[in-house]
Amino acid sequence: MMQTASRPLPPHLAAWFVELSASAEQSESILGDLAEEFSDVASKSGVVSARRWYWRQSVKTIFHLAGAALRSAPWPLTGIVLMGFVLKWFIARLPEQVIVALLRTQRPYSNLHYVLYVWLVTWGIPILRVVQMTLIGCIVAAVANGKEIVATVVLIVISSVIVGSNFCLHVLDLPLQTKIPWAFLVPNFANWMGILTGGILVRQIRSASPHQDATP
Amino acid sequence: MRLRKNPEDHSKHNDHNKRSHALSTMSRANSESSLKALDYSNLFYIVYLMSSRDYLGEFEHVVLLAVLRLDDQAYGVTVRREIEARTKREVSIGAIYATLDRLEGKGYLRSRAGDPTPERGGRSKRFFRVTAQGVAAVNRTRHALRSLTEGLELLGSRS
Repeated sequence: MMQTASRPLPPHLAAWFVELSASAEQSESILGDLAEEFSDVASKSGVVSARRWYWRQSVKTIFHLAGAALRSAPWPLTGIVLMGFVLKWFIARLPEQVIVALLRTQRPYSNLHYVLYVWLVTWGIPILRVVQMTLIGCIVAAVANGKEIVATVVLIVISSVIVGSNFCLHVLDLPLQTKIPWAFLVPNFANWMGILTGGILVRQIRSASPHQDATP
Repeated sequence: MRLRKNPEDHSKHNDHNKRSHALSTMSRANSESSLKALDYSNLFYIVYLMSSRDYLGEFEHVVLLAVLRLDDQAYGVTVRREIEARTKREVSIGAIYATLDRLEGKGYLRSRAGDPTPERGGRSKRFFRVTAQGVAAVNRTRHALRSLTEGLELLGSRS
């Protein structure tokens, strides 16, 4: 890429978000247009307001592209998201099963692996769950060719709505320590980030390999 | 020996009959200033006909006109500036590209990549051109709008 040192650069994070939400062909022209307008705004009103303008435009662009992706193929996307839910439901107990099977091979009070045992009991299941969610995100993104991020974000939004409403409905029945919203939100948030990471991984791999973007 | 009619011809004939019946009922309804003359099957058929003709949406119309005005200089930035200058309406690059892509998918636009430039961070421009199909769609929408506004006393023109 041609870049001169004196020219102010647009915010990398905003550009990355736009790149993720657009197809390879789209992102080339959209990021080019945004960069051209960014230098124009920066020369007229300064770098700070140009950066602000860039972020605003990026957010609007991401929403428009996501909306367009949803409108262009609503039924295939619904099918892919449903597949993600079925997959989540089928392998929901897998982390617990793996950790329990692993712990059964150990005798905590009679060997030197006590620390490992405690660590597995405390962190094994949440970590495996995040890995599991990342794999689900990868599978959903792999199927949603060209719409990886939209598909994973839709899966996350619907999951969060279900989990949130479930929490609100059963908040009175929950034990005291899980009534604290953040204690409830942190593991779920980690799971959602796992799904998104899976989507981003597949998207990045696809954009790195040429002729893989199948967006119409 | 009697020749058997092709089933496709038969369905086309039926289609034509249905269409002319729907249109004649519609014109009758217009002349009587009442929609009561239309039965539900006709209404559905008219909606089907309108959707199959694929009229342009408002923003699609605006974007196509901007691309037509810009001729061979139409790409994201210029289209956005043209729309903002002529309609005094702020639009985002994302909205422009979502519409341009949709119009290209419908065959109303064709795009080609330009050369990369340093002010664009080494990225190339994507130039758009309106196809003959696109021009026809603009004309169709323009005629539809003209016939709808014909004879209307609009608020601005009263005083």
